Amino acid sequence: MARKKVGGAFGEMFRTVLDHPVTVEYPFGKKVVTERFRGKLDIDPVKCTGCSICEIVCPADVITMVPVGKKVVGSREVDIKRPSFDLYTCISCGQCVDDCKFGALTLTHDFELAVFKKESLKMTKALRVGK
Amino acid sequence: MSDPVQSNEQTEAGAGLMQYSAENMMPFGPVHPSLKEPEYFKLYLQGEKIVQVVPRIGYVHRGIERAAQERTWVKNIYLFERICGICSFHHSLSYTEGVEALAPFEIPKRAKYLRELVAEFERIHSHLLWLGLLGHWAGFDTLFMWIWKDREHILDLEEAISGNRVNKSYTTLGGVRNDLPENLAEKSRTEVNYLEKRAEYYKSLVQSEETLSVRTKGRGRINQETARKLCPVGPLLRCTGIARDIRAEDPYAAYGEVPPQVQTENDGDIASLLTLRLNEVTDSCRLVKETLEKMPSGPFRVNFPRSVPAGESTFHVEAPRGELFYFVKSAGGSVPERVKVRTSTMANILTATEMLKGHTLADVPVVLTGMDPCFGCMDRISVVDVDKSKEWTVSGEQLRRYGIEYYRRK
Amino acid sequence: MDPIQVVELLLFPGVTFFVWLAFLFEWLERKTAARMQGRRGPVVTGPFGLLQPVADFFKLAAKEEIVPAEADTFVLTWGPALYFAAPAIGLAFIPVIGYQSILYNPLDLLFMLFVLSFSTLMATLLGYASAGRYSTIAIGRLVVQYTSYEVPLLIAMVTPAVLAGSLSIEGIVAAQSSVWYIVLAPVAFAIFVIATLAELEKPPFDIPTASTEIVGGWMTEFSGNALAYVKLTKNLSYVFLSALAASLFLGGAGGPVLTANADLQALFYTCYFLVKLFAVGFLIFAIKTALARVRIDQAARLFWTIMAPLSLLQLALAILIR
Repeated sequence: MARKKVGGAFGEMFRTVLDHPVTVEYPFGKKVVTERFRGKLDIDPVKCTGCSICEIVCPADVITMVPVGKKVVGSREVDIKRPSFDLYTCISCGQCVDDCKFGALTLTHDFELAVFKKESLKMTKALRVGK
Repeated sequence: MSDPVQSNEQTEAGAGLMQYSAENMMPFGPVHPSLKEPEYFKLYLQGEKIVQVVPRIGYVHRGIERAAQERTWVKNIYLFERICGICSFHHSLSYTEGVEALAPFEIPKRAKYLRELVAEFERIHSHLLWLGLLGHWAGFDTLFMWIWKDREHILDLEEAISGNRVNKSYTTLGGVRNDLPENLAEKSRTEVNYLEKRAEYYKSLVQSEETLSVRTKGRGRINQETARKLCPVGPLLRCTGIARDIRAEDPYAAYGEVPPQVQTENDGDIASLLTLRLNEVTDSCRLVKETLEKMPSGPFRVNFPRSVPAGESTFHVEAPRGELFYFVKSAGGSVPERVKVRTSTMANILTATEMLKGHTLADVPVVLTGMDPCFGCMDRISVVDVDKSKEWTVSGEQLRRYGIEYYRRK
Repeated sequence: MDPIQVVELLLFPGVTFFVWLAFLFEWLERKTAARMQGRRGPVVTGPFGLLQPVADFFKLAAKEEIVPAEADTFVLTWGPALYFAAPAIGLAFIPVIGYQSILYNPLDLLFMLFVLSFSTLMATLLGYASAGRYSTIAIGRLVVQYTSYEVPLLIAMVTPAVLAGSLSIEGIVAAQSSVWYIVLAPVAFAIFVIATLAELEKPPFDIPTASTEIVGGWMTEFSGNALAYVKLTKNLSYVFLSALAASLFLGGAGGPVLTANADLQALFYTCYFLVKLFAVGFLIFAIKTALARVRIDQAARLFWTIMAPLSLLQLALAILIR
């Protein structure tokens, strides 16, 4: 059993003064994130085929498939759908990234997502492709 | 099966509390600087001495079990890991293992080892968090800052593996989501060796520092007999000398092959909890190194069907705070029929209130923190049956009997 | 009082000077505690965060003051001003720019004792007038703590007076020109420092304002202007007690001067004073950062059973030396 004394922290304290402080200087400096960091979602509109799997698996109901045109499949005419993302609600879990068979979705390292209006976080760039 | 919900006055009158007048009652919570989450404790004081504590829970009740009934099996992983930030991985682990028990095939070995690795990371992080907070609540801010500085090492490792520091979302049905990144094995060993040395230093500091030990030695003492009556779980149970650890008794993930060393202490007070949790940190560091060594190669994930076969399963894991228990019932569909969570703080709260008797108000934060409370995990006692529109509270006795029956049938 | 004295009293080295020193002390405390804990401390406001305490003061002064319904508004309005006045006047008796202080009285050590008890009395009154549950518990603890540390503190303060043969601060400072009293009475210095920690409610004796148990202690119900002044006064008492320790045990503003020019001499004396002041202040922060908080009964036991006899012993020794 260690001997009881007061001020056992003194030695460590003075050693810590000499070390560099561990504070990260964010926002005046850069914050380093790891490679797998899950930040803001991004879509590559070229690779997206509108299969709607991302809409089905999203836990936070972020994705809405929007009809952007029509095509003929076999003997019927079906909608071509593309996803619209409400990134305000997104929890960056990455389930859509895992489940997209075409590799259209990625999670970037962007985490500075504070905005003044919720609507500015709607990502609709996939809606323009796919006529 | 049910008693009607008793009013609070009736319950308190039954416990013989009406003799204590309202002037002697000191409310602790729901909002108080020393509580991370809101919880209401009615402290009945005589002078500064506490004679009775009546907890009232339910302030963080979010209806998660009800929400789980509307989401698919995979979506529920994200729901359950957000029950608690500190033991988040253990919640998702217990849920996924519970669901996988309903399906007829095994998950790959590598996935089990990876799950154990991240589970041990989380245990280290949780214990360091608790230690720092105990320092803060005892007035020792320096210890708090130092320990949380060291905790950053573990959080960086967790971020490297899964992409997030807190809600890791690392398990999924059928295995884990990613494999280890390239240099993580090396980095983990370095960090874990560093943390072992720091844990040794902190152990010597908390045992020898006089101002800290007068706050923790002999405070919140429970003996084995009280422990057996009140059934605490986790480190709170192990510090009385009873060696129960689910990782050793009922191994899950890879604990069968990489077992932990169950740590116990004999004094049953807060000082022994400090030593116990630091010993557990050291042991977890050893487990991390061993898991990395013995990790088999192979796939880390298998496909899991969208609809889970019908059945009921229970699963318990040793979360950093104690036994975390999940009951999963499937009717064969793509959403669960019922998921029930019984967390460790639920089992510990009565023991904690028992620990407080006879202490002064100054001891309340330290003793209450001794059980490592996580009220966010805890509030899930009411059961609402949507079909029959009935509401009842489940008593501990009913749960206990049901549990014995279930395991006997298993 | 002649006009020069009034100017001195108000500006330098009077109230304004000490208020700025109080801000500087708070900055120093936060910076050293941060560095010892591995973090940075204030960095944003002003160079090296020097203006942070000033910014905090003005921020608090700009906030709305919320007073509980049952509180005594008369006391809560005028109390903080009185609470501020006590150490401010006390500081005028401590020599800074030479061997002379602004205000002088042959018995001013006794006035210092009065200032200390008056501070605690005002704190108790303010806590009582706030009429909150937490404040009531806090002032109970405050009074217990005060009665515990007062006796050792008094005896520790009287020891240098005995060694110097005079009850005025000026006299004690002048008598230390040969040897500092910390050398002759080190135990008294140690007791003084520990009792200072208790007076200022800093760890390990910050029981009356234990923020994690009773929210804010006796300051719980304070907000806005009153809180700004109360915090300023706490910092000012910090300066006051450090200045007292520096004057009683470390020779105050005294020291060798290397010029015959009166103004430059004043500069030298001020520098000596400031250096000793910061040395004592730094010692107090270092102790405060390294220790946890003890309970009130443990603190009381410490003071009555260990400190009081030690201080008496030291006093006896001092009488013998003399």
